[in-house]
Amino acid sequence: MIDVSWGEQVVFYILAPIAVIGALGMVMARNAVHSALWLVLTMLSLGVFYIVQAGPFIGMVQIIVYTGAIMMLFLFVLMLVGRDASDSVIETLRGQKVAAIALGVGLGVLLGTGLYRGTVDLTPVGLAEANKNGNVQGLASLIFTKYVWAFEVTSALLISAAVGAMILAHVERRKDERIGQAAMMKERFLPGNYPGPKPGPGVYATSNSVATPAKLPDGNPAQRSISPILPLRELEPAEKADKHTLTGGHQS
Amino acid sequence: MNPTLADFGHDNGWIVALKVVGVFVFLVVMTLFTIWYERKVVARMQVRPGPNRHGPFGLLQSLADGLKLAFKEDIMPLKADRVVFFLAPVISTVCAFTAFAIIPFGPFVSIFGQKTPLQLTDIPVAVLLVLACSGLGIYGIVLSGWASGSTYPLLGGLRSSAQMISYEVAMGLSIVAVFMMAGTMSTSEIVNAQAKGGQGELFGFEFTYPGWYVLLLLPSFVIYAISAVGETNRAPFDLPEAESELVGGFHTEYSSLKFALFFLAEYINMVTVSALATTLFLGGWRAPWPITQLGPWVNQGWWPLLWFTIKLLILLFVFVWLRGTLPRLRYDQFMRFGWKVLIPASLIWILALAGFKTMNNENLPGWQRGLWIGGFAVILLAILLWPRKRPAPKLPLEEEVAQRPEGSFPLPPIDLQVPVSPRAKRITADREPVQ
Amino acid sequence: MSLSAYVPIVWLLALAAAFGLFSVGIAPFVGPRRFNRAKLEAYECGIEPTPQPIGGGRFPVKFYLTAMLFIIFDIEIIFLYPWAVSFDMLGVFGFFEMVIFIITVAIAYAYVWRRGGLEWD
Repeated sequence: MIDVSWGEQVVFYILAPIAVIGALGMVMARNAVHSALWLVLTMLSLGVFYIVQAGPFIGMVQIIVYTGAIMMLFLFVLMLVGRDASDSVIETLRGQKVAAIALGVGLGVLLGTGLYRGTVDLTPVGLAEANKNGNVQGLASLIFTKYVWAFEVTSALLISAAVGAMILAHVERRKDERIGQAAMMKERFLPGNYPGPKPGPGVYATSNSVATPAKLPDGNPAQRSISPILPLRELEPAEKADKHTLTGGHQS
Repeated sequence: MNPTLADFGHDNGWIVALKVVGVFVFLVVMTLFTIWYERKVVARMQVRPGPNRHGPFGLLQSLADGLKLAFKEDIMPLKADRVVFFLAPVISTVCAFTAFAIIPFGPFVSIFGQKTPLQLTDIPVAVLLVLACSGLGIYGIVLSGWASGSTYPLLGGLRSSAQMISYEVAMGLSIVAVFMMAGTMSTSEIVNAQAKGGQGELFGFEFTYPGWYVLLLLPSFVIYAISAVGETNRAPFDLPEAESELVGGFHTEYSSLKFALFFLAEYINMVTVSALATTLFLGGWRAPWPITQLGPWVNQGWWPLLWFTIKLLILLFVFVWLRGTLPRLRYDQFMRFGWKVLIPASLIWILALAGFKTMNNENLPGWQRGLWIGGFAVILLAILLWPRKRPAPKLPLEEEVAQRPEGSFPLPPIDLQVPVSPRAKRITADREPVQ
Repeated sequence: MSLSAYVPIVWLLALAAAFGLFSVGIAPFVGPRRFNRAKLEAYECGIEPTPQPIGGGRFPVKFYLTAMLFIIFDIEIIFLYPWAVSFDMLGVFGFFEMVIFIITVAIAYAYVWRRGGLEWD
């Protein structure tokens, strides 16, 4: 029997269900952003597991990198489907859920029993030796000597990630299509364009409501001063009538 | 003896509890104080008195504001995502507090007869804890923006996501040099590594220079300081809450104590990055040079807490000073600065430092050193001065004005002489010195 | 190094979480409640709230690119940390290893820069 410290067991029995709940929540959440958040929970629990298993560096890395990665997922969701997106409840493939659950449980049982049988009478060795000079130093001496090839290949992986992101997400524009701030300002002051701010609604009008257009110097309403989303509404005769605001309410 | 990594994790339960509560109280008090401090300093910079009604010097102003916030109506917009809207301020607060767990306040002290380091705890990856917390803290802001169901907060949240992750990269790169010098990531040992100064010789004078990394690693400190301002969303990098563009940014829809939590988190983050800067670059809790001459007692017992707090307040003053001085950057300028200046600069600095250290470790002879440094400088200059397409020659202002098409917006003449206002004349006349 | 050094972090986290949850939880009960339909609308400076931004709430994909670049640099930083910590131990070999790694990542960076992936306009 493997001797597991009391603290480690407590952490495991608290965080393992949380990690599983996070994973289930991620699959079941209707809202894509909620899914991403459940995933954060799972990843955080895994990070703590690593720390508990005497790998503080990998644990912190798990938290730092996966927060960034899930942030990216979150943004991607927001950009692709918009804020109010949620899953459609209609099943496109009949019986897909049942099959997926059955296969998933089967795979879980297979992996679980396999791992159990493989590790049931295994005694862990060498942890103290590996962390002798400190966890980070031990890691460094392996990455940068024994696994140096894998380490260098990682950088190639990073290049392909950059290229992939550029291909997916970058809309290339030619140099001359790009308008700088100076050019934009020049355009703003060209003839035919009014450079000043638009008059706010209600300016010089008899009411300061947002729905009342501003009056131009010649007395015409300035339609640009009201937001296009406001519904158009004809004034009723009573509203249209002179309220005598200019004469202090007295009928002249 | 100074605390090292091995000295942590041996505290009693009640000492741990005392320290946890101590850190918590320190942060809350620092927040209340910093809000007052900021308002007072900005006020003095703008030649006005600032808060001066509640308590001596208005010190209780922020406490009064905090209490008032509690008695304000708590509003949740109809379109808000209820759970996430509720959780976002909590995430911000928790991350802000947790990051402070590894900040060293001082050496060993005795608390009720127990000898213990004046630091909550230290772990081999202590600095990474701060990075992880600031990374998770971004979620508080982004989620609050997303969950509000409103346009301005959403824009603010998205902006801050891009901004904070960009500046987190710069921040992460800037502290690599510190790890390289100290050979550890634990904060207490980084402070210890800065304790020893070195002997230097300049023009025949022998002198001891302090071991603070701000002197040895000045570029790193500058990059860290800039990215810390970006990371905490402070002016001039306060784009997520740019009030002239986005009303309040991510916290537009928040009121009452939820808003207070965001406020608290922002100020704690400021304190945390300042404390980390103190720890990594300014020698931590150690007294600065002239004070150390007074005797060894200045770096023992509870005194270091004072030096630490003074350093912290000086850094916080810089934050306020920046806010009082600089206008907000435009978003594209801000992102360009982060990605095209800070990141390449820190990468090149890391390589240069690594090369220098390698040469020192290998004891290369002088001519080989010169060769390597020369080669590096040539490559650097080639990259910096790579010939670019020359921009079209800039016309003088008169010609540019003359080229404007007919009917353009009228401009005043360039050599316009503004006549002195008669009122101004009168004032100067009034102020003639009285004989 | 035992796990006991991590325990205070957990306590601080728990205290902060309790404080945060308490504040957020108590806010609706302490403050007044004056119902007004308009208060519950999204705040847009007094005009009626616009429907969510452009195209039902979609956003420029630009932010995604930044997030992806962040991950690339984040991973680079993660490799830099252990290298920096045991720098003196790794010697010349470690130095040149990292030079190669940084240059390779710099190629990706230069590519993104040249194609205009770092422009915000």
